[in-house]
Amino acid sequence: MKYLFLVITVLCFSFFDVQAQIKLPELDKSPMDMSYYPNNYPILKIQDKITEPLIARVIYSRPQKNGRVIFGELLEYGKVWRLGANEATEIEFYTDVKIADTKIKKGRYSMYGIPNTDKWTIIINKETDTWGSFKYDEKNDLLRVEVPVQNQTEITEAFVMAFEKTTAGANLVIAWDNIKLNLPIVF
Amino acid sequence: MFLKRGLLIGLFVSAALFNACRQQDKKDTAAEPKTIRFPVSLNDTVSLSIDKSPMDMSYFPEDYPKQKMLTPDMASPVARVIYSRPQKNGRVIFADSSVSQNVIQHYGEEWRLGANEATEIEFFKPVTINNKKLAAGRYIIYCIPYPDKWKIIFNGNLYSWGLHIDKTKDLAETELPVIKNNTEIEYFTMLFKSASYGCDLVMAWGDMKVSLPVTVN
Repeated sequence: MKYLFLVITVLCFSFFDVQAQIKLPELDKSPMDMSYYPNNYPILKIQDKITEPLIARVIYSRPQKNGRVIFGELLEYGKVWRLGANEATEIEFYTDVKIADTKIKKGRYSMYGIPNTDKWTIIINKETDTWGSFKYDEKNDLLRVEVPVQNQTEITEAFVMAFEKTTAGANLVIAWDNIKLNLPIVF
Repeated sequence: MFLKRGLLIGLFVSAALFNACRQQDKKDTAAEPKTIRFPVSLNDTVSLSIDKSPMDMSYFPEDYPKQKMLTPDMASPVARVIYSRPQKNGRVIFADSSVSQNVIQHYGEEWRLGANEATEIEFFKPVTINNKKLAAGRYIIYCIPYPDKWKIIFNGNLYSWGLHIDKTKDLAETELPVIKNNTEIEYFTMLFKSASYGCDLVMAWGDMKVSLPVTVN
């Protein structure tokens, strides 16, 4: 009994000791990632292989499909989604660009999407450093653009966003599960 | 005789190959979640699977985006750090240069404070680091670790990969004592804690913890 008491005391102390320390964040279930245009800009930069200036960067989190039905179930059609997980997805332009004929000044923006079966609405919004789409406010929209859904036969397990060069600039490619979207950016 | 030997060698080689393939399979499935490449002409080097050392982000005030959700019209954040989180994975984090096996980083050599891209810190207000004023803006930070202290350096070479430091762009530096933790931290972690002068950027990994004072001007 004495020993038991001792053990409990020691356990309590070690518990308090852990508590006294700062609470460290666990590894995220939907880890964050970052894509640049030009692709892999940071690597090209240290290799002195840059041929184009830095145009854009997207910071987003990567939820995984994990056997779930994503569109229409996990994500309701017609509802604003943060395009990822955790913080709202952030897109930064290092130069002025154009999306759907709307001029976008260089700077940081948040990004949302409204999924639908055949097309999505992609939103660029002026409010940054926000969590999810809980406080999303249409008033701060810079633009809304509709992009068609491209169905894929292969499954993308982890939500992904990356840039792809086009003749007019670049597409921001957004893909998850069995769909893919292209958001054309002109610069 | 030759035939027999040939056969034996053949058997041996195919067994070894078979084994190697199996091990490869095992390694692959264990290392990363199964992802299937989607048929777009995305640059091949864009990773479609989750990073081994995933990226993370910390704000000051702590959990700023969540706080902002509860408190609209909050003032702008003070700082944000974007870094990647390597795992200790049974390795020794730091050792001197005589140790080459199972060690992540040598003492006295530049370390990107994470993995992949250089760690990026952004101040939304002017700050002072070790008596040196830094304007509001973005910087990268790296570390030169020693057994008892870490030298933390602020540098202006933004958007670079963390393996090559351009020292000509160093802007401020400070030496900080290593505090020993009695708990093991598997993933490298960076976060801000409130302090009377502004905040501390706390960096922790293994049994080490370092606290960098940031005076908010």
